[in-house]
Amino acid sequence: MRLSFRYISDKAFTGLTAVSVVLLSLVLIVVLAPMIWRGSSAVVFKATVEFRKMQMDLFNRGEPSELQAEIARTESFRKEVYETLDKFKKGIDTESLSDQARRIHRQFGSELRLRNITGDEYTQLRSLTRELRDRLLTAFESRDIAEIRENIEYVSGYKNDPRLTDTSASALFELGTNYLESAQSIDLKQFEQYSESIEEIEQSIRDLFGPRPGEPTPAGVRLRYGATRWDQAAKCLDRLFWAQKWVETEPAKPLIKIKLSRAHQFAGTELEKLFEYMEQNVQKLLNPRLTFYWQYFIDDSFNSHYFGGVGPEILGTVLITLLGMLFVVPLGLISAAYLVECASDNPAVRIIRMCINTLAGVPSIVFGLFGLTFFILYLFPLLGAESKGCILAASLTLAVLTLPVMIRASEEAIRAVPQTYKEASLSLGASGFRTFVTVTLPAALPGILTGVILSLSRIAGETAPILFTGAVALGPVPKSVFDPTRTLSYGSYDMAVGDRISMMVPHNQYGMVVTLVILILCLNTLAIVLRTRVFKKLKGQ
Amino acid sequence: MQNNKSGVLESVSRRRKNKGKLNLIMDRQKQSKSESLNNKDTAECACSIVEAEDFSFYYGSTMGVKNITMEVFPCSVTAIIGPSGCGKSTFLRAINRINDLIPNTRIEGTLLVNGHDIYAKKTNLVNLRQQVGMVFQKPNPFPKSIFDNIAYGPRLQGTTKGSKLQQIVEESLKAAALWEEVKDDLRKSALALSGGQQQRLCIARALATRPSVLLMDEPCSALDPIATGKIEDLIEQLKSDYTIVIVTHNMQQAARVSERTAFFCLGELIEYDFTPKIFRNPGKKQTEDYITGRFG
Ligand SMILES: Nc1ncnc2c1ncn2[C@@H]1O[C@H](COP(=O)(O)OP(=O)(O)OP(=O)(O)O)[C@@H](O)[C@H]1O
Ligand SMILES: [Mg+2]
Repeated sequence: MRLSFRYISDKAFTGLTAVSVVLLSLVLIVVLAPMIWRGSSAVVFKATVEFRKMQMDLFNRGEPSELQAEIARTESFRKEVYETLDKFKKGIDTESLSDQARRIHRQFGSELRLRNITGDEYTQLRSLTRELRDRLLTAFESRDIAEIRENIEYVSGYKNDPRLTDTSASALFELGTNYLESAQSIDLKQFEQYSESIEEIEQSIRDLFGPRPGEPTPAGVRLRYGATRWDQAAKCLDRLFWAQKWVETEPAKPLIKIKLSRAHQFAGTELEKLFEYMEQNVQKLLNPRLTFYWQYFIDDSFNSHYFGGVGPEILGTVLITLLGMLFVVPLGLISAAYLVECASDNPAVRIIRMCINTLAGVPSIVFGLFGLTFFILYLFPLLGAESKGCILAASLTLAVLTLPVMIRASEEAIRAVPQTYKEASLSLGASGFRTFVTVTLPAALPGILTGVILSLSRIAGETAPILFTGAVALGPVPKSVFDPTRTLSYGSYDMAVGDRISMMVPHNQYGMVVTLVILILCLNTLAIVLRTRVFKKLKGQ
Repeated sequence: MQNNKSGVLESVSRRRKNKGKLNLIMDRQKQSKSESLNNKDTAECACSIVEAEDFSFYYGSTMGVKNITMEVFPCSVTAIIGPSGCGKSTFLRAINRINDLIPNTRIEGTLLVNGHDIYAKKTNLVNLRQQVGMVFQKPNPFPKSIFDNIAYGPRLQGTTKGSKLQQIVEESLKAAALWEEVKDDLRKSALALSGGQQQRLCIARALATRPSVLLMDEPCSALDPIATGKIEDLIEQLKSDYTIVIVTHNMQQAARVSERTAFFCLGELIEYDFTPKIFRNPGKKQTEDYITGRFG
């Protein structure tokens, strides 16, 4: 009976352990996998020709002649898009049509003045073209096809007037007939929507292809290129093909977003072809190709992370972390050694211990403010250094933050070294210090390395303490430890909350976070390998 | 062996030329050694190397040993026996002040080593422990290689030359009867040795610093009879050059290896005399009870 109970409880325990392990791994997978999946899209993705253009311009990467050929090929397909669009716009853009009509009228007037005609004739012709112009303007402004037709037909009636043939005024007839043609093909009721829609379509096409060939290069780097990535292109295409509209289904209920097909909206017009054409030729227009953009880890970024990589961020994080470790490891070790080896159990030491424990629980933002007031505003001016955030201040602050962790881990490790080792060393005539350095410390090394791992992860990942002490969202690559730097942690934070432009590139946000995770993972793996080695050596294997 | 040892001793004392005090001690030791060699039968007259006078040791309020008065004579083996918890280790560990590691301890009386009060304020602990080596109850090699374990002491004393260290390591290992077993791989971790080998390694390590007194706290308690035999042989060999104080629970062992035996009980020294006398004709009833196994 008892035996069977023991057997069952044993099995149950094993089962529980297994379940908890499985749960833990599941949580890990559920949390990390999507993040890493998305983050990896910053490095491995389908890059369009725009990406290669950008790489060539900014980093001088790629084969120029190949790229030129590729650009020429895509341009040849894009031409059709631009042409269709322009043609349609000609018919729909009444404002520019009106401008054109006025201009023609003015031009005709100056032409008349040069002609050898009488004053009467001049006035006559002038008022004639004025009337034609006004008719056209009325037609352009009208939303009634009958009215338009009437006006245009009136204008066309003068087409064969000998006084106007072969003059600049004859352009008015062409303008009129063209307009009538396109006005007949579109639903004039939707005229407003058309012009609004056409603006969006133009914007989408600009997002897709960048500025048109021949246009001046925009000042902002971001505007110089179209969609560099296939996923971005897909979004632009979506905006191009589908108009979004917020509609109220019921009063006092949240609006609902619906999608309307633009092809449907423009059915029967010139523009209808455009959608079909783009849908069919999208590959040729952008030429997407799967790319492994490993330079993501070394490239500087442009236009607040819209393009480029996280090179300076990685550099900054590694610098701050290593420098911080340089402060925290010796300091933590010495403090731990003091607490274990020298300090006896008196009230002062007990208070120190309590302080260390309390410090471990202080919110990190408090350390950030401490770093700002103590290091930057007090200590640096005192030592004659410039009072500004910098790598040194940031790593000092982080060192203070992780000191309790380091002290406690090494204290435990030193305490755990068997007394017999110490006795053996002392009995051989070693001094206390010598014993600590040659026997206790090596034996405590695995535990100390655990402390190092803990502090390392903490230092590399903390954001709040470096917020005021040395991290910047944008800025040049640091030249010395007295410069502020970009870091992965602060960069992730800034991209998530502060930066409009970087919000447009979620893959970069994930990329930065995943880079941070992977960096910490690498540093930890390094420390763990080291610890295992030391451990094996101590075990005598 | 004898020549070898004194040769090393000379070199050691040469090494320590600057440490006047130590030289003095070494000289004294040599003197006393020759004395004891000359008057083997009247060893009582020889001047003692360790001398306790009314020595008491307290762990806080707990008494460890009380009012111990005894002398240990050079180049001999002195055994300490007694029931568990009677303060044998306490007394032994007091001789090289390794008990200092335990907080809140306190002593009364005096304990002289080579005529110096070792609990005096000005005592140099490093010098004291170089003179008074110790082998612990449980083998406690460092987690280092065999070579580094043994070279640890000499290195502390300033020997850094490879060939010199090599020589010391070899001599010490031979002295501890371990050389044959480990000579092929001195770089092997000491923790990879068997328990008995580890204990002999610890003895070799203690010998490498050339102490004048060797304290052994139940060195064979964790060993099988063969290893125990080896260590007993070793003690037999060492006693011509070293002063050995050995704590043991094994009466036969005490009888076999020691010249004098001290019987401790409840923190007090009950009887201290020549070993044959203690075992054949003890002066006290308590001693007799313990030896004959009638003691609880
Ligand atoms: N670190 C310590 N702190 C407090 N009391 C101690 C300590 N070490 C020993 N004692 C006490 O001192 C007394 C003597 O201990 P000691 O270790 O000298 O005994 P022992 O004779 O060596 O015994 P054993 O034969 O079991 O090794 C014991 O009563 C023990 O409780
Ligand atoms: Mg003991």
